[in-house]
Formats: sequence, structure tokens, C-alpha cells
Amino acid sequence: MKKYKEFLITADPFNEEILSGLLWQLDLNGISEEVNCLKVFVESESAVSINDISKILDSALYEKLLRSFNIEENIVENKNWNEEWEKSINVIEVSDRIVIKPTFREYENKPEQIVITIDPKMSFGTGEHQTTKLVLTMLEDIDLQNKKVLDVGSGTGVLAIAAIKLGASYAVAVDNDEWCLDNAHENCQLNNCTDEVEVLLGEITDVEIKDFEVVLANIQKNVLLSLKSEIAARIKTNGILILSGLLENDEEEIVREYSIFGFTKLHLEKMDDWIAIKFEKL
Amino acid sequence: MAKKITGYIKLQIPAGKANPSPPVGPALGQKGVNIMEFCKQFNARTSDKGGLIIPVVITVFSDKSFTFITKTPPAAVLLKRAAKVEKGSAEPNRNKVAKVSKKQVKEIAELKMPDLNAFDVEHAMNMVAGTARSMGFTVED
Repeated sequence: MKKYKEFLITADPFNEEILSGLLWQLDLNGISEEVNCLKVFVESESAVSINDISKILDSALYEKLLRSFNIEENIVENKNWNEEWEKSINVIEVSDRIVIKPTFREYENKPEQIVITIDPKMSFGTGEHQTTKLVLTMLEDIDLQNKKVLDVGSGTGVLAIAAIKLGASYAVAVDNDEWCLDNAHENCQLNNCTDEVEVLLGEITDVEIKDFEVVLANIQKNVLLSLKSEIAARIKTNGILILSGLLENDEEEIVREYSIFGFTKLHLEKMDDWIAIKFEKL
Repeated sequence: MAKKITGYIKLQIPAGKANPSPPVGPALGQKGVNIMEFCKQFNARTSDKGGLIIPVVITVFSDKSFTFITKTPPAAVLLKRAAKVEKGSAEPNRNKVAKVSKKQVKEIAELKMPDLNAFDVEHAMNMVAGTARSMGFTVED
């Protein structure tokens, strides 16, 4: 499991604004502002050391921004930080047809209903979020029978699993986050679709198949913009692309940039501030 | 009825780059907030800010739902941007790496007044100028 160095910094006076700003001269993962201290995090392999932080704070002492400071170093092991939240997950009725539930909740499904079991741990995609719901409801309107589906940025694997349950013959779920590999595998097992869903740890460039009929990507604008040529290279003519993880303001740029790669906007769905766009590849 | 607030979480993370590892994971996890949902929203809302450091204040409610506001980057980050440098000096007393004008210091001081705990603009300007010098920037009239 990945480890992180945690530097606990106290100072007198404790001006978190000044202190934290100065510390961002170093390559940090992030800072947590606590009541009387700052917690600064870097990956355990990072070259950032207690000496680097001392040096920066010494300069602040010299400029009389501080009178004194103290630094303590700890090692934090990455784990499923989402455990507490997971306990609160309920059954989610995404639509009349699709229901998503965690393993520890019971659900009595009606005929014709598709129940997907997802334990999310640290991956994205429980069906609770608008961006996932939008893709799922758009998927319901596509004829997926015997189609091949690619899910880019697959998180829990929920979209690939749903595609199989809705009739697709095969799905590839790719994500560059190592959490997602194990988690998507577990979720495929829970839904008896390990033969139909191939889970890949890596980038879209690692996906060798070039003739998907449907591609799904629920990520964020900048990432989706950077993936447009790679997505275009993996989808068949007349294939359907659904992009999600977008805010209303993102529509114009996304539609314009994807049109350069032969995608025509067919349809847009909106939920709160979020939108998902369905395209056809010409 | 308004939902009961159970706490606040204050983090600083680069725009568009929130992920569930520390500091986001442990800070939100211990309050039972859905970490991935926060990351999704934060990244979507800040993706245009090109890697700037974004302080974010997350309000957590009793039903574990949350809202958040993003603030302006810390003064030192704004100073680096004003001086057009990536980093401060390794030896700020001896080796000066950039210049900022008094006008720029004043603008940053005024913008950051609410976060600096300063008595007045003059006091805030002293803090911002001290921050600049401690990174090896000279402050010029």
C-alpha cells in the first residue's frame, strides 16, 4: 500500500495563510489546515524532507513572520478512507429499470428490474452521483445487444457492468487509479460478469481494440479534452459516445473539440449543474 | 429545516487534482463524507484554474452531505504568479530571484485581507512583503 510523509507543523504566531503559501514552494500533494497546526503531505518517495521545510520556515523567522516553529514527521499508510461513508450507502433506484445497491443492503427487485451490486471503497461510481445517473439513463436508451463497450475512467466498473446487464456482449473498463483495478474486479465478481468485463489498469492508449460500438467516459472536462483523439481512434463509424462529469459551462468547448474528430452531438441530459452529452461518430 | 452543521474541513490542493489519497482521504473520511464525490466536484469546478493552489473550505452536515467554497490562493502563491517564477530562492537572503512592485504587494494584501488576520491594509502589506522577501523576492517602489 502506498505511503505518505505527513509533516505536522506548528508555529507562533500560527498564520496558516502565510505558512501554507510559503510551503507551496515545495512539490506537495496537499495541505490540511487543522485548528493549531498544518498537516503537509507528500508521497513517501518524494525528495521533500523535514530540512526543506525547516529552511523555508527559517526564512520566515528571519523576516519576522514567525517567532518559532516546530515540525514533526510521521508516515501515513494509504487505506480505504471511505469506510465510514460506505456504511451510509443506501439502495439507489437510478430509474424504473436500474437499481444499484451495496452488498450489505437487501433489495427485493421487481420483474424486468436490473439490480447491480457495487461496493465502492475508494473508487468513483456508486450510482448516487448525478454524473453516473446521467450515463446510466442514457445507456438504457441505446440498443446494446451484442455490442462492445469501452468505459474510460471506469472507477467501480459500474457503467461497464450496467452495459453488460443491458445486453452488451463485452466491455473493457480502463482506469489509471490502482484502487480501481481490485475494486472493479470485486464488483464484476459480485455481478457475475467477470467473463464479459475486462478490467485494465492503465491509460486508454493501453486499450488495443479499435472497434467499440459504444464508448463511455465519466471524468472531467480537461481530461476528456485530452482524450478526444484516443477515443476517436477506438470507436466505430456510427458508434455512440457518452461523455459525463461535465458542468453546463463545459458544453460548448467539448462539442466544438469533439466535432473536429467526427463526433456529432445527438442529445444532452442535465441533472442539477451536471450534464452528459451523447454523440455519434460519423 | 436547515441541516445541522457537524464540522468544517480546510484543505489546500492543486486545482483539478483532488484525489482520495492524503490530505483529502483522511480529512473527509473521518467525517464520513463521500471522498470520491468531493473529488469529482472539486476537479470539475477548478479544472480551468491551471494547477493553481486552491484553498477549499468544506462544510459537513449531520447527514454526511457537504458543500464547499473555494478561496483565492495563498499570498505566497499569488506573489510567485505576480513575479512570474515557479519557485522562491533556496537562499533568500543572498540570492534574489525575482522582483515584485509595491503596487502588486498592495493588491495581494487587499485581496487576502480576510485570510491574513491583519489589523489593517498596512499590516497586511507588511506580511505580504515579508513573505515576498522570505522567498528571495525584492519589493520595489
